[in-house]
Amino acid sequence: MLARIIMVKLPKRYTQLACPTSGGFGDVICCNDNHLDRKVAIKVIKDIKEEHRLRDELVALLQMRSKHVVQVYDIVTLDAGSFGIVEEFVDGGDLWNSDVPRQSPDTYLSILWQIASGIADIHAAGLIHRDIKPTNMKLDGERIVKIFDFGLARKGGADAATKGFIGTYGFAAPELYGSGKVSFTNAIDTYAFGATAFFLKCRDLPPELQKRPPQSVTSGVFSSAPISIPHDLAVLLERCLAHNFMDRPSMATVRDELARHLHRDKHQALAVHSGKPYLFNSTNRSAVLDFPKVGMVEITYDGLKFFVSQTSGEVYINNSPACSGMEIPGSCVVALGGAHRKSNEREFITFDVSNPEVVL
Amino acid sequence: MSGPLSPGDVIQERYKIVNQVGEGGMQFVYEAEDLILKRTVALKMPKNDSAKKRFQRSAIVAARVNHPNIAKTLDYLQEKECQYLIEEFIEGKDLDKAILKKAKYLDPYLVARIFNYLAKGLAASHHAGVIHRDLKPTNVMVVDAFQLNAIKITDFGIAKMAEEELAAAAEGGSATLFDSHTAVGALPYMSPEAINTPKDVSYPTDVWSLGAMMYELLTGDQPYGYGLKAVGKIQEAQPPMFPSFLSSNPQFAPLADHLKDIILQCLRKDPSSRPTADSLVAQGGNLCYSIAPRHIGVVSRVFFKAYGFIDVDGVGVFFNYDSVYGEKPVAGDKVMLSKFPGGGADRAHPVVKLQ
Repeated sequence: MLARIIMVKLPKRYTQLACPTSGGFGDVICCNDNHLDRKVAIKVIKDIKEEHRLRDELVALLQMRSKHVVQVYDIVTLDAGSFGIVEEFVDGGDLWNSDVPRQSPDTYLSILWQIASGIADIHAAGLIHRDIKPTNMKLDGERIVKIFDFGLARKGGADAATKGFIGTYGFAAPELYGSGKVSFTNAIDTYAFGATAFFLKCRDLPPELQKRPPQSVTSGVFSSAPISIPHDLAVLLERCLAHNFMDRPSMATVRDELARHLHRDKHQALAVHSGKPYLFNSTNRSAVLDFPKVGMVEITYDGLKFFVSQTSGEVYINNSPACSGMEIPGSCVVALGGAHRKSNEREFITFDVSNPEVVL
Repeated sequence: MSGPLSPGDVIQERYKIVNQVGEGGMQFVYEAEDLILKRTVALKMPKNDSAKKRFQRSAIVAARVNHPNIAKTLDYLQEKECQYLIEEFIEGKDLDKAILKKAKYLDPYLVARIFNYLAKGLAASHHAGVIHRDLKPTNVMVVDAFQLNAIKITDFGIAKMAEEELAAAAEGGSATLFDSHTAVGALPYMSPEAINTPKDVSYPTDVWSLGAMMYELLTGDQPYGYGLKAVGKIQEAQPPMFPSFLSSNPQFAPLADHLKDIILQCLRKDPSSRPTADSLVAQGGNLCYSIAPRHIGVVSRVFFKAYGFIDVDGVGVFFNYDSVYGEKPVAGDKVMLSKFPGGGADRAHPVVKLQ
């Protein structure tokens, strides 16, 4: 391979460290920022005419605060009619070749959750990434997923329409395969996320996604090995690949569902009765509170929530009559015996549900 | 004292000063607008000669750490004799102003949460080979106070400069120590080795400081007090006692006991026997706590010294004294709480009295 000759002249502040690599919309040069003595990635946008149009979108990107989107430090004007976007340099390989997602089901879900959080942040800022795929994500040294390479230089912008196909085959949603003017919504990122989720699990794409344009996937596509995931999550991830963009879930929904499952079997409930604490969790899943001849309730932990699995007599949870299937709120008082009884005919048990927080 | 810059000043045709937002012992802090990238940033300037000497070096150190719980370094510039550090602007206040000035202490849920975030940030900084050296509540920024929408350690850069001043002050004995504005603020969180042999300061020093901060958040007091008396007590480093209210309420005791154990590990006299930041992260990962939103209210009525109602934005929330961490509030007291759906009125838990 021939070494490329760099035509751009970098400002004095930056020293080029390596040969440029080809990125989503221009070359990427790894440099040292001599003022702060740290590595940065400078993306070179070759067409200066793009600068004005891109600047608005860049400003939106700059104002967005997300743990999962690469930080933009600066914009620099280069010579030869080009400009550069100075970004944080994320050391390490991208997720295309990474084995980390397959280390364990928990790791897989944690990485998907981080990716979903990043895309949800992007969507909340009114932006569409347009090129979500494993090669556009890295895990940094602290194991935080960073998304980069916005499809900024694509034709499009505010009206979210392009001429002809953009994106990456295999990850691009069916609605992007049109001729003439192609309209799309942020659901193209959801589709690409679904494809990414499948790829990170199987290191390949489903055959239907390898067609151009992609076809509807067969039901149960996320239920196969090598990483087993809960059924309802498999269904949700499959919905991300829905052919009709209207049928795909929002990325905020995907993020929240993944977070819920990351806590599976990690919740605990602290029950206090007459000053004595009792702990319930995945190894001690069921509590029976029984005040003979007054009321009985059994509370069970199913891995995601504590709920009333059986009840009889006078049982009130935060003053509402308990019924089977009722979810226990984060904090409550269970009363055995109605308010009409004397205080020595009633028992109170407090119940506090909590879980470890997923902190990055 | 106000700093050398005024609202409207523009640095290098790029950073327009909006307001002075802070002043530490070593630097002035301004809110500024980046005119090119159209975003708000924090602009910091060294305050005195010893700070000026090390300012760029400290910016470089801070720039090495990149983590959600660490304030991000964006730029560093020099113009004639002046140096400027540009950081992400954190819309909030420091831990002292945002929390400790409002609540004497926090319930164990909130302390566990703060601990978790700070341990993560500290671990990231230690992985990058950076010792903070001056971890204290005024160097931690909090967004949205009790909601903790973000919590970030800042002023890494300043640490090494502060260390020089602290070392000089410590060597000069207690009289010099109390001439130094920086030393007085940092002292309650300083480790025995930071006082005795400042040259030996390393990663475990940060762990000690984190433990001292957690002690204060959980109990309302600094573990060895403040002022002159603290120096001797820190040097002795007897494991601190904890007030009895931490463990007297069975609803909070299990988590409070867990936190006490972690704090005592951090406050071990021998630096090498303290846990690493990574070990603290692992321990924090096992702590169970609620992250339900926090509200501020005023106690409207209390019945039989046992239960009552809290007015939260005009709506009554039921509370029981069993849900109160620490001192029991009476009618008219301001409190911080989480609330959960109850039949009729919502039910508060936990409840903490505010100052």
